[in-house]
Amino acid sequence: MEDNLSFALMLMGVGLATVFTVLLLVIGFGNLLIKMVNKFAPEEEKPKQIASKPAAAAALVDGAVQQAINKAVEQLTGGKGRVEKIVKL
Amino acid sequence: MGDILNRIYEMTAFQAIIDNPGFLVMYALAFVLLYLGIKKQYEPLLLIPIAFGVLIANFPGGGMDVISPDGAGLVHFDKDGQEVARNIYEMSLPEIAHDLGVMNFLYSALIKSGLLPPIIFMGVGALTDFGPMLRNLKLAIFGAGAQFGIFAVLLVAASTGYFSMQQSASLAIIGGADGPTAIFTTIKLAPELLGPIAIAAYSYMALVPVIVPLVVKLTCSKKELSINMKQQDKLYPSNTVIKNERALKIIFPIAVTTLVAIIVPSAVPLVGMLMFGNLIKEVGSSTSRIFDAASNAVMNSATIFLGLCVGATMTVDAFLNLQTIGIVAGGFLAFGFSIFGGIMLVKLFNLFSKKKINPLIGATGLSAVPMASRVANEIALKYDPRNHVLNYCMSSNVSGVIGSAVAAGILIAFLG
Repeated sequence: MEDNLSFALMLMGVGLATVFTVLLLVIGFGNLLIKMVNKFAPEEEKPKQIASKPAAAAALVDGAVQQAINKAVEQLTGGKGRVEKIVKL
Repeated sequence: MGDILNRIYEMTAFQAIIDNPGFLVMYALAFVLLYLGIKKQYEPLLLIPIAFGVLIANFPGGGMDVISPDGAGLVHFDKDGQEVARNIYEMSLPEIAHDLGVMNFLYSALIKSGLLPPIIFMGVGALTDFGPMLRNLKLAIFGAGAQFGIFAVLLVAASTGYFSMQQSASLAIIGGADGPTAIFTTIKLAPELLGPIAIAAYSYMALVPVIVPLVVKLTCSKKELSINMKQQDKLYPSNTVIKNERALKIIFPIAVTTLVAIIVPSAVPLVGMLMFGNLIKEVGSSTSRIFDAASNAVMNSATIFLGLCVGATMTVDAFLNLQTIGIVAGGFLAFGFSIFGGIMLVKLFNLFSKKKINPLIGATGLSAVPMASRVANEIALKYDPRNHVLNYCMSSNVSGVIGSAVAAGILIAFLG
């Protein structure tokens, strides 16, 4: 039993030290990543720019409404879709 | 006529239940767990399958119990009216299905192989947001303090002489407050204790709203619990600004997996799958289909089989013994010590730092995401209605998941 106890004590020391080391490294690595990302990719990639305002659309709806429609389409299509024409029914 | 009635009676389970009233205790346990899961909503996704597994495993003649091998790996079963003993490690899966029943097949293929806990971890990763942790990265260290309970109870259990080192480690990992981690470790180190350890782990996780406030009340002052984190942030602002969180969140799981894999390779099945699940979430629309599968269909299927199989290991012989009482008591101690360890680390930090940290952030270092953080937030609001600590707690809470997986990896590496 004494063997078990000393082994458990050793495991406690090694275990806690390893967990602390790993999490300290995660924190250090995380900070490093933040600095690298801030340096090399400081801007969030914007989804593909929507084509210039279609003339017909501009005539039919005001800027705020069109922006809302564009945003909704962007979100629904994951940035792949774009508004080409807005038609009043 | 009497012969027919006699044979009908023999067909039923009545006589076996009368011969061994322990079955009634198991039914009572199953009903209590079902009640807690259904009515009280305590971890229903796992407690209900586990409870039903307990129920169906304990009907004599039903063949749904998971048979534990003896020390030599032999399982004893009836075949063509004769008792047969075979080494389970030499039996193929079809033989196990044929001779021992479908539950033993599922248990061998999904649990004993160690398959399901990492699969569930993948789903957990897909549902985890590392954003709060990345925004408050320094607080992640408190997830390490909350692993104290694991190693403290390992010491206590080993010193009793009642558990082997492997069994002590499996019991102690309950302190990580992480069901899949507890199950994964127990499968590797002491599979004979899987049932009671899984039940204890999930029961205590469900009792986080009771245990966390209890330990906090015993160890923290009103002044400490009133520390307002936002005010501290204003007084001592952080230099770190994240300009592109999306890119960071994609790189982070890859970096952490690589780091952990190099330092503690035995933790990779858990941490690797956790981070893989998170990566497919963060990549976005191009992996949305597999993200959806990992966080829904795959995880839910794994949860069903994990629960049922774990429940089915809880037979009369495996559950009704003194070791189970030891596990229930030891699990509670492990949980309490873990919360205590996290709180004490914050107190130690506060001794040397100008910027004070609310000790509740240490208390949430034990996994149980996000329930521990929610409970801590409620406690903080009681002392200061403007003190929302949820986001801060999530940092140590999520790092606690990594910490407990690393702790499990260490135990497996040394004792497996």
